[in-house]
Amino acid sequence: MREIIRLALVLTLICAISAAALTIARNRLGPRIEKQNDFYVRGPALSRLFGQPAQELLDQKISFTVEEDVYPIFYIQEDGRITGLAVEAAGEGGYGGPVTVMIGLDLDRKEALGLEIILHNETPGLGSQIEKSGFRNQWKGLSIAEPADLRSQGGQIDAISGATYSSKAVMTGTNRIISLISHHREEILAEIRETEKEP
Amino acid sequence: MTTYKQVFVHGLWKDLPPFRLVLGLCPALAVTASAVNGLGMGLSVIFVLVFSNMFISMLRRIIPDKVRIASYIVVIATLVVLVEMLLKAFFFPLSQQLGIYIPLIVVNCIILGRAEAFASRNPVLLSMIDGFSVGAGFTISLTILGSLREILGAGCWFGRSIAWEGFEPFTFMVKAPGAFICLGILLGAMNLYSRKRGETFIQT
Repeated sequence: MREIIRLALVLTLICAISAAALTIARNRLGPRIEKQNDFYVRGPALSRLFGQPAQELLDQKISFTVEEDVYPIFYIQEDGRITGLAVEAAGEGGYGGPVTVMIGLDLDRKEALGLEIILHNETPGLGSQIEKSGFRNQWKGLSIAEPADLRSQGGQIDAISGATYSSKAVMTGTNRIISLISHHREEILAEIRETEKEP
Repeated sequence: MTTYKQVFVHGLWKDLPPFRLVLGLCPALAVTASAVNGLGMGLSVIFVLVFSNMFISMLRRIIPDKVRIASYIVVIATLVVLVEMLLKAFFFPLSQQLGIYIPLIVVNCIILGRAEAFASRNPVLLSMIDGFSVGAGFTISLTILGSLREILGAGCWFGRSIAWEGFEPFTFMVKAPGAFICLGILLGAMNLYSRKRGETFIQT
């Protein structure tokens, strides 16, 4: 009996110290990792969506909160009007967890400019193919007036064969963004105008 | 009795991973498509090896025998997650290149192997030196293998082109089969050299 208690105690102690060390490291390094992510992943993604240099686009950002979800939203302006948004959202149901997508939106034409994958944990070689431009190009010109879907469910997007969960997760993320825009478009634009006013 | 010098040197030739200490072959094949990736992976392994050997040696009288593997794995996994965070924070492009092979350091048999074979029964400083030695050997092996594959397969070294007019890259070398063949060639060359020198060597 004493032996079992000792076994359990030592293991628990080691795990507790490990958890503490990792939490501290996460708190200290988290912000820096976010910045690196912005520079190396979000920046180029925004650049590809809007065709403008990344540095300015990264500064034009708000964090929009609905219930408990926070959505990073980037925006571009032309002649003082907000003409485009890039919304980032996570789509649940991927093979390795949620897939974080970013969709560029043309507000005038009410269609998508493109899809970028920001973060995923899908199987290399299979689900990771959602990164391929062949798949992502399907989002160019996609109407955001109604929810999108995979062709197998009656929609227009071709999934990647062998990567059903990954494709579905991207669809879920897409529809979250479409739903966000259709319900909260004016609030988002208002919040952006507020941020722009601040010096 | 092993001296400090013996421990420091053994990982660099006598027990060189992955050629003499035949462990860690998976990352050795997978991340050596370029020299800088091999180097980056090797340095990460040194970090994990030194500190895992240190902690496991410090705890060697406390960890009960029955849960030793579980305890070692928790220590190693914690260190690997730390390395992953450090890489993402300070060397983001490298972390993207190395991809899933960083988290896979947890199951790199070299680390568990040294923990079990050395750190669990030796004092702390000696264990740290052993970790550094084996890690450094691994780094050298990976960098050489990576350099060979990169030079032959892409005409570059550490990203800088060293090709000349009319050089046709032997692309086979940067793919998986080329990795096996390069590894085999290096291994054969090492063995030939050792035999010529009359060294008795064992591969474990």
